[in-house]
Amino acid sequence: MNPFLTVLAKECTDNIRDYRSVFSSLSVALLGPLLVVGLLIFVLDKTLRDYEEPIAFTLIGAEHAPGLVAYLRANNTQVDQREPVEDPSTLIELGEAEIILVIQPNYGERYTDGLQNQLALFFDSSSYSSGRRDLATLDRLIERYSDTIGTLRLRYRGIQPGLIRPIQTRKIDVSSPADRALMIFSSIPYLLMLVIFTGCFYLAIDATAGERERGSLEPLLTQPISRFQLVLGKVIAAAAFSLLNLIVFLISLYFALQLVPFESIGMSLELNLLQLIMIIAITSPLTLFAASLLTIVSAFSKSYKEAQTYLSFVIIIPTLPLIITQIVGIEPSLGSMFVPSLGQSILISQIIKGEAVSYINILLSVCATLSITLLLLIQAVKMYQREQFVK
Amino acid sequence: MIKVTSLTKSYGLVSAVNDVSFEAASGQVTALLGPNGAGKSTILRILSTIIDPDTGSATLGGFDVSTHTTDVRRQIGVLPHNTGIYDRLTAIENIRYFGNLQQVEPTLLNRRVDELVHLLDMGEFCNRRVSGFSQGQKMKVALARALVHDPQYILLDEPTNGLDVMATRALRKVIHNIKAAGKCILFSSHVMQEVGNLCDHLVILGHGRHKFSGTIEALEEKSGTEDLEDAFIMISSEGAPDQ
Repeated sequence: MNPFLTVLAKECTDNIRDYRSVFSSLSVALLGPLLVVGLLIFVLDKTLRDYEEPIAFTLIGAEHAPGLVAYLRANNTQVDQREPVEDPSTLIELGEAEIILVIQPNYGERYTDGLQNQLALFFDSSSYSSGRRDLATLDRLIERYSDTIGTLRLRYRGIQPGLIRPIQTRKIDVSSPADRALMIFSSIPYLLMLVIFTGCFYLAIDATAGERERGSLEPLLTQPISRFQLVLGKVIAAAAFSLLNLIVFLISLYFALQLVPFESIGMSLELNLLQLIMIIAITSPLTLFAASLLTIVSAFSKSYKEAQTYLSFVIIIPTLPLIITQIVGIEPSLGSMFVPSLGQSILISQIIKGEAVSYINILLSVCATLSITLLLLIQAVKMYQREQFVK
Repeated sequence: MIKVTSLTKSYGLVSAVNDVSFEAASGQVTALLGPNGAGKSTILRILSTIIDPDTGSATLGGFDVSTHTTDVRRQIGVLPHNTGIYDRLTAIENIRYFGNLQQVEPTLLNRRVDELVHLLDMGEFCNRRVSGFSQGQKMKVALARALVHDPQYILLDEPTNGLDVMATRALRKVIHNIKAAGKCILFSSHVMQEVGNLCDHLVILGHGRHKFSGTIEALEEKSGTEDLEDAFIMISSEGAPDQ
């Protein structure tokens, strides 16, 4: 058997038997998608409720303004009518109401006389949560009613309503529940990077810093195997576990997505097999990159503990380009394909959103990442060749 | 034959080995003796191609450790001082790993593993994972691993460290066995007593310098005492800066 394969097989066996570490890295891959989907279902649920749920409020003095009340009732509201109380705010304090609209007994009189009516709207800005939307909507409804009446009165008197209201804005919210869902989906590339790096985390430490600390590195280095084959065996073993983690993550994501009620927001987002394979093809060079990078860092550290500390920081590095580009707002360009992790993230986002993906970009990203990986590998071999390495 | 010529090695400002020369013949057991810090491990590490000498040379069977590294590696079996075996692998897996790295042909490897399991009496635990093994069991695994490719040169770094009487006996038996097969055995120790009934040839080091080479009889003659321990202390501290 080729010595490289011997090392590869040994490192894989060794790592698989370290149940705890295997389980802990796989759990990230398994639970990550559930977390995203859970968040997604929560947001969708809330958005849909916002769209459909009636506005709830308490009304005092409904009999004084039948016109207004009829208008409110016709506009998806849930009215809780009450007898007048001395201080309506106590109802809120007692928790019996969240929003109270009070209509004074002289409403009809003033209405007929063409005077302005002040309606009191009681609420507690420090306590209510779902009421915030209700309050704004109710306020808007009343305003719209008031506008309509006012406009009619002006017209009746032969005055153009535009005279007192020269400007009016019209707000058009083009966001849909589907857009909000996609926003949550943009966290998937981050998670993917994390999953790839945690996949090879333990093996990279164990096969380098761990091996040195336990004193097994020295006899290993007396074997007639080139340092390049030795390092390659270790790096590929580590990358294999990253790939395993990646595949587990995607499978978990695939099934988790089935739980999301996409049809309720009129959108069909499903990852098909082709898309999954494309994601694997695009990100697999990154597993080699991660394995080489982590191997170098743990070869550089003096002990297992030190390696763990360094690597916990290094794991954050692949997410930095993503965060920086989002903050600075760099447009995804050809150049970004050359940066490992950034190129892949952009491509994955495009695939998830169902946008067209340029094959040149894929090729660029794969080649760039592999070239950088090769440089890292050469560096790792150099570190293994130094005699201070065993100390 | 192992031939060490004017070997010198320093770690920074600390001189570990200073102009040491000696020979170790095949079919013989040679002991590298010296107190702690005498440079025994450094010499063994140079011979096992882990580190390079600063000056001087070391050859095994005519192959220089610095220039013909791979040839040397094919011919040596190394038992490091802390065994250095893998906890999560079984005893046999540990042995086979190095057998494969030495590219021992598969059927031959199977036979060698069987032989070694028998020779070192490992039948009871050879298929168990190493984690939890006693010091003696670990030493046996490490020794079997060092011998799996039937090397001509066997380098043992303080092999009896931490072993009980039974395990020491087993080790002695194996060393006699491989000596009879014409191998060249070099082991380091700082315990004079265990050397007496094991080795044919002595090399004594002190403070990184060569102090004595020869048989036990020659040592007794030179030091003028029959007590090996006294002789050892006398020879190894000769001319030491702090004496």
